[in-house]
Amino acid sequence: MKEIKFDQLQEKIYTETLDNGLKVVILPKRGFSKTFVTFTTKYGSIDRTFKPHGKDEFITVPDGIAHFLEHKMFEKEDGDVFQKFSLNGASANAYTTFGRTAYLFSATNKLKENTKVLLDFVQQPYFTKQTVDKEKGIIAQEITMYDDQPDWRLYFGTIENLYENHPVKIDIAGTVESIQDITAEHLYTCYETFYHPSNMLLFIVGAVKPEEMMAFVKEDQAKKSFDKPEAIERQFPTESKKVDVPERTLTMDVSKPKLNIGMKCNEIDLQGQEMLETELSANLVLDSLFGRTSAFYEKANAEGLVDESFSYEFSMEEGYGFAMVGSDTDEPERLEELIRHTIKDAKTNWPVQEEDLDRMRRKKIGQFMRSLNSIEFIANQYTRYEFNKMNLFDVVPTLENLSMDKLKQAFATFSDDSSYTIFKVLPPKTQ
Amino acid sequence: MFNKTKLQNGVHLYIRKTEQFKTVNVTIKWKAPLDQKKASERTVLANVMEDSTKQYPTLSSMRKALDELYGTVLFTDVSKRSSQHMVSLYTECVNDEFFVGEDIFKQLWQLIRSVVFDPNVTNKAFDPDVTEREKRNVRDRIRSIYDDKTRFAQKRMLEIMRPDHPASISAYGTEAAVSEITNESLYATYEDMINNDLIDIYVVGDVDEKEIIEQIKQFLPFEARDAAKQNDLPDVNVSGSVNTVREKQDMKQGKLHLGFHTPVSFHHPDYHKMQITNGVFGGFAHSKLFMNVREKESMAYYANSAFASHYGIVYVTAGIDADLEEKAVKLILEQLTALQNGDITEVELSQTIALLENSILSANDSARSQIEIYDQYKELDESFTAERLIQKWESVTLEDIKEMANTIQLEIVYLLSGKEGVSK
Repeated sequence: MKEIKFDQLQEKIYTETLDNGLKVVILPKRGFSKTFVTFTTKYGSIDRTFKPHGKDEFITVPDGIAHFLEHKMFEKEDGDVFQKFSLNGASANAYTTFGRTAYLFSATNKLKENTKVLLDFVQQPYFTKQTVDKEKGIIAQEITMYDDQPDWRLYFGTIENLYENHPVKIDIAGTVESIQDITAEHLYTCYETFYHPSNMLLFIVGAVKPEEMMAFVKEDQAKKSFDKPEAIERQFPTESKKVDVPERTLTMDVSKPKLNIGMKCNEIDLQGQEMLETELSANLVLDSLFGRTSAFYEKANAEGLVDESFSYEFSMEEGYGFAMVGSDTDEPERLEELIRHTIKDAKTNWPVQEEDLDRMRRKKIGQFMRSLNSIEFIANQYTRYEFNKMNLFDVVPTLENLSMDKLKQAFATFSDDSSYTIFKVLPPKTQ
Repeated sequence: MFNKTKLQNGVHLYIRKTEQFKTVNVTIKWKAPLDQKKASERTVLANVMEDSTKQYPTLSSMRKALDELYGTVLFTDVSKRSSQHMVSLYTECVNDEFFVGEDIFKQLWQLIRSVVFDPNVTNKAFDPDVTEREKRNVRDRIRSIYDDKTRFAQKRMLEIMRPDHPASISAYGTEAAVSEITNESLYATYEDMINNDLIDIYVVGDVDEKEIIEQIKQFLPFEARDAAKQNDLPDVNVSGSVNTVREKQDMKQGKLHLGFHTPVSFHHPDYHKMQITNGVFGGFAHSKLFMNVREKESMAYYANSAFASHYGIVYVTAGIDADLEEKAVKLILEQLTALQNGDITEVELSQTIALLENSILSANDSARSQIEIYDQYKELDESFTAERLIQKWESVTLEDIKEMANTIQLEIVYLLSGKEGVSK
């Protein structure tokens, strides 16, 4: 077991990679009542074309299967896993993203019992035709629920515009139609390919004794048998740097028009420290262009072009990345113009001064320290960082060393005119 | 545990010293009787106050000052509880120990002082541009509930079930009341809030209690006010007949909301028994609603119940195919009937107690929830601890649940659904 100290943050993590390839990370938190445990596989909605475990040919599986599999893991021959967690006083859940599926619980006692339930249910698949068919009704309702959420449609509509081929454009849950094709055999194929311990990470944070817990997990894993780790081969279509659809409008029953601008990131092969620097830099650039202290925001706010829903974000993962800026607005055209102008202007007239960089750095460092109060943040983010070969605890030193050139470089990755798209959700009457 | 200090009549300070967090939290809550007009004024006021002060007259200068202080958080929000309206100022800064030579905490007090006592006011009126902008923002916030069909359906159900009652009055007020606000009326509301509201101040973090008390006396010199005032909820007459309401919008999923009355509310001696009853009914993933409506029938992604204890209301929400309304209502009511008949197992009871325990103990892991939970429960018991509540839960029996379930009475079935696809 390796022990790594982060003096500045007053945190210490314990890590070990077990014989079966599973990486275990433990972070004890002083004064906390609960423990939060996530068991995550590097497998999400974008992993739709791959070589199944033990096979030589690539296959493509129905859309929404990673999420479907997540649902189905909770049902076993002897009943529902939630029941077991409930009896032990643990609150359990799971989520699927583009690139990860995470199973988790939080509990204030019976930590070992609950960890055992978690390890067992994720490592013992059980799918039948009957249980798979039954789930289709539930997931169809989940999909329909999201269909009625204009902000979700806005977000996804923007991503659909940005990408021509990349599966990031496919809704994580798939469609009501695509999930009808999912069978128990599909689920076993995906499970066997992606749920090998060597493709997974167990993160335990909170009221935990590291040595004892590590020994417990090791012993549990040693008792179970797994195939030899095999490299997973995924296939992704080629994707141009240009957006697929420059503009699209959706009519929904909303109180006010919604505008979102997406900017496709053209630097998509980064990993590790390079990715961390780019991601943090891009965030700082967006902060300085669109944050509450920016000239843009002052103007947009004074003129009533944005409201409390205004937001911006930068997302970067292996194979894709994008920036988004959006708000509910009565004047989508004027807001679009102002956002475009802000980006364009920054290319010739770089808006970030050294003092701004310094201030934003301080802000981000404080924000990061604050987020370390949340054990959910630590577990979920650590895993995301690890899967991208970055380390969450490098954030502060990396922020301290960011240069203005790095910011300019990051800005260049998403500020190309041909990489823009507009998505609007409009109420029926303004059409 | 929070240590209480009475600063003035009607002004109390609660400090919790803990090494658990990397930050220090300071929250101030102003409490006044809830009515729609006042709620609107106070919501706009809360927005105006967080935006600027005399010292930082623009949003940008204000936010820059906070950014310089290692991203110190400062924002306001409004909420309601029973017949009270609350304006809260939330602040959080990184503990000084991480940054040698800085005095972040002291600067935070100065900022709070300037937000509370030195707002951007000239001749007893706020800046007209800022007022208009924040009126618009609050108006849009009220309107945007329409975009979230679950929230909208819940709002409509409460309006029909409890018209002109605190249960259905929004903490944000109404669009109409927002439009009537002037710079002068806003300032009058500000003075009223600062001078007459009940005030609770919370501090959570690795702090020196004596020092905090001195700092608050220096930076936040609130004067005494009448601490006795509390207004009661209006009486509710439950007719016994069930109101069925169907409304339509352009949407896909049916939002089914059922409202039930119970005489057992927050101040009732059986309150903790009703918490357990709600948990068995539909509070968790092992509950009757989840197991039967979702898992057995595959009818819904969510089917939950909640206990709005301050208003004596239990409500059930489910997202369903609107064509299945009748079947879903029947299935939901069957679960309640099961509870009323005592068709409950020891396992269901112990699962529910275990999860309620887990949730209240987990709340200890966030400074915000420590404050919110204590602020609510101290009205029952000033020396409230999670352990005491847990003891009460553990004493609840199957017979108690049966008894509680029998006080629950259906008042309304509300369905919001798409313009097509409703069979009746």
